[in-house]
Amino acid sequence: MPRGRPQWRWLLAGAFVVAAALIGAAQVRSAVPASFQELEESLTCQCGCGLTVGSCNHLQCDSAMPLRAEIRGQMETGKDKDAILTYFSGKYGEKILSSPTASGFNILAWVTPFVLLGLGGVFLGVTMMRWTVRRRVAPEPTAPQPRAPSPYDKILEKDLKNFDG
Amino acid sequence: MPELGKLALAIALLLAIYSIVANIYGARRNAPDFVASARHAIWAMCAMVTIAVVTLWTALMRSDFSLEYVAAYSSTTLPTVYKITSLWGGQQGSLLFWTWLLSIFTSIAAFQNRRRNPEIAPYALAVMAAVAIFFLGMLNFVTRPFDLLATIPREGSDLNPLLQNYWMAIHPPSLYTGYVSSTVPFAFGAAALITGKLDDAWIRTTRRWAIFSWFFLTLGNMFGARWAYEVLGWGGYWAWDPVENAAFMPWLVMTAYLHSVMIQERKDMLKVWNLALIGLAFGLTLFGTFITRSGVISSVHSFTQSGLGPYFLTFLIVVTLSYTALLIFRSKDLRSPAEFESYLSREAAFLFNNLVLVGIAFAVFWGTIFPVLSEAVRGVKITVGPPFFNKVNAPLGLVLLFLTGVGPVIAWRRASAKNLRRSFLVPTGLGLVGGVILFVIGYRHYYAVVSFSLCIFVVATIVAEFYRGIRARQAMVGENPLTALTHLISKNRRRYGGYIIHIGIVMMFLAITGTSAFKEEKQITLKPGESFQMGGYTLRYDGVTSSETPHVAYLRASVAVLDGGRQIDTMLPEKRFYKKPEQPTTEVAIRSTLGADLYLVLGSYDEPTKMATIQAYVNPLISFLWWGGIVLALGTGVTIWPTRVRAPAPAYAPGAREVAE
Repeated sequence: MPRGRPQWRWLLAGAFVVAAALIGAAQVRSAVPASFQELEESLTCQCGCGLTVGSCNHLQCDSAMPLRAEIRGQMETGKDKDAILTYFSGKYGEKILSSPTASGFNILAWVTPFVLLGLGGVFLGVTMMRWTVRRRVAPEPTAPQPRAPSPYDKILEKDLKNFDG
Repeated sequence: MPELGKLALAIALLLAIYSIVANIYGARRNAPDFVASARHAIWAMCAMVTIAVVTLWTALMRSDFSLEYVAAYSSTTLPTVYKITSLWGGQQGSLLFWTWLLSIFTSIAAFQNRRRNPEIAPYALAVMAAVAIFFLGMLNFVTRPFDLLATIPREGSDLNPLLQNYWMAIHPPSLYTGYVSSTVPFAFGAAALITGKLDDAWIRTTRRWAIFSWFFLTLGNMFGARWAYEVLGWGGYWAWDPVENAAFMPWLVMTAYLHSVMIQERKDMLKVWNLALIGLAFGLTLFGTFITRSGVISSVHSFTQSGLGPYFLTFLIVVTLSYTALLIFRSKDLRSPAEFESYLSREAAFLFNNLVLVGIAFAVFWGTIFPVLSEAVRGVKITVGPPFFNKVNAPLGLVLLFLTGVGPVIAWRRASAKNLRRSFLVPTGLGLVGGVILFVIGYRHYYAVVSFSLCIFVVATIVAEFYRGIRARQAMVGENPLTALTHLISKNRRRYGGYIIHIGIVMMFLAITGTSAFKEEKQITLKPGESFQMGGYTLRYDGVTSSETPHVAYLRASVAVLDGGRQIDTMLPEKRFYKKPEQPTTEVAIRSTLGADLYLVLGSYDEPTKMATIQAYVNPLISFLWWGGIVLALGTGVTIWPTRVRAPAPAYAPGAREVAE
């Protein structure tokens, strides 16, 4: 870092990246479901439709219907949302969850886009700052040198004279 | 006939190879005859691919089941329109269709540049021919559309019933047009890098191509959404399926490109960035094709899945590495004296717009490949579904919406306090007031409130721009408001077309917000005569009728829609049972109003009891998605329409001429 460059810029940049990561983490927290409908949306139907249990387009689906009943059953036991999702994940494997969990390797899924975006923002901000600084120190342009007379000069002069007239 | 198709494809491949050699030789040796010969070879290649396409279409229309492709994707009972669309319903046919579009676009580019860009055009055409060689190589050696069957079946296996829908007649061609036409700006970008002619000539030459590609990618995505909405029967239109993501990513990057080239055109900045963006957009189209055909990432609609993945992956890697190497090789020459004055400027807004668009593209890419990454690293299969994409992209989408309002209005170089007040004070005030009103009347979905407020803000900035422009013309020329509006747009199509496009985008945001935050759904089993309430209506199930054709059997429920006791409509959701292959599909019934769609799905029917299970949805504001698409198309038309510029009539050249831009 060049001497004399204010430290606050880098602190600000760091804070920006951390904020971006926190936004990513906030998405994880808000992903935790609280109701039957949210639980349906947090589980993937296993019939191959590729949709969530709540959205499965097969009304008599062999997978979605039993899963819905199982969600209700789990809710009746009084478990909280995390415990219910842990139950499904344990029984069917992690692939039943419609979003990656907020732990271990999977946290990368949530945080990486925001961290990279934050880094991109810092890079952009710093680059724009450098451009601005470069412009400030750039020497003033010298006065234009007189150029050789062009054949169009006369025509232009004539047109302007006519225009004025 | 199949032999004709095979021969045509073989000759097309040879012509593509010849055109590369002749173009490069002609350009390097300054031999215009060779360049002209290469151009003729490209046109001949297009003619050959056209012959192959017509041959396959003829076989499909004639139900010539001696061809493996026709037997696999058609039948004698398939309606004629779907015989035509089955050209892109299967692997080989869709690749042939792709190659056809590429050969057409390459031919048009060759024609447009027959007297222009003598330094870069031959190389650009060579790059396009190289891409064509890959596809023609696949069609000649790997996945041949004219392969014959040893035993000719009496009947074909038929087209996938999900593809037997009118939206499928226009969705794949639109998307393919968007994908393939991105080759033109990519090829000119690559040619600029190869030749070292790094000014903005390649951008100016391909500006309309870039808009054309972006427009068709938009249409393709819109038609795909409409197809999903009508055919898949789950009440939604976008499920973040890998194939959908594959079409969305190039659109995002192309959108970023269309904004950032304005900075290069105006200030000669961002040369590397623009070249990188167009390379990325083209790479993502190949990545999308790789996803669709490889089966590496499971998707609900990989209709053309096959073992072509490794070929596409290899091609993708070769293209990416070559292009990146060229960018690095030319990096010194691409440096330009950047001129930047303030963060409060249009340049800064466009740069942040680029950051967010590329950020969203990365988030979509990351979510799409993360299951593969997880399996490779942990050995555990996971799903990255709609909740992930919605949660990650919602905040980014709102930032983008905000920038949509700021970018086109804020001043270039440095916005003064006066400019900011003039452009943003009233729109900001209106947006805030709108948000507060929504909150006060009971809206507690915070994302929705912010989104609606931003929509008001963006529309207000655009309306204010039109208002100011009209007032200025009225003051200067004394035109009436309508004439002033017409002239305002026609004198600066690019700017005002852009505003109209932004209005379309805002309408789409309204629809996305409405359907995401306020969608209602209900599943109910009823006897004939029984009713239920939905979206302010009473829905009465009146029974089921059935009918049959040689191709498909129908089961159609009749549901009366009552408003205040008066019947205002009858909705007819269907179940269809296709006979070849035996597959049930859903045909939804939609009652569309500007405020909301009432959407009914017939789930099941029990003949002995006459009971039917109906799934009902209310999708608020969804019509704005489709209308937004139409407005966007209108704006693109305004932007892309050639402007006739009246040339100044100098004193020494009597008589002014009109010249096209």
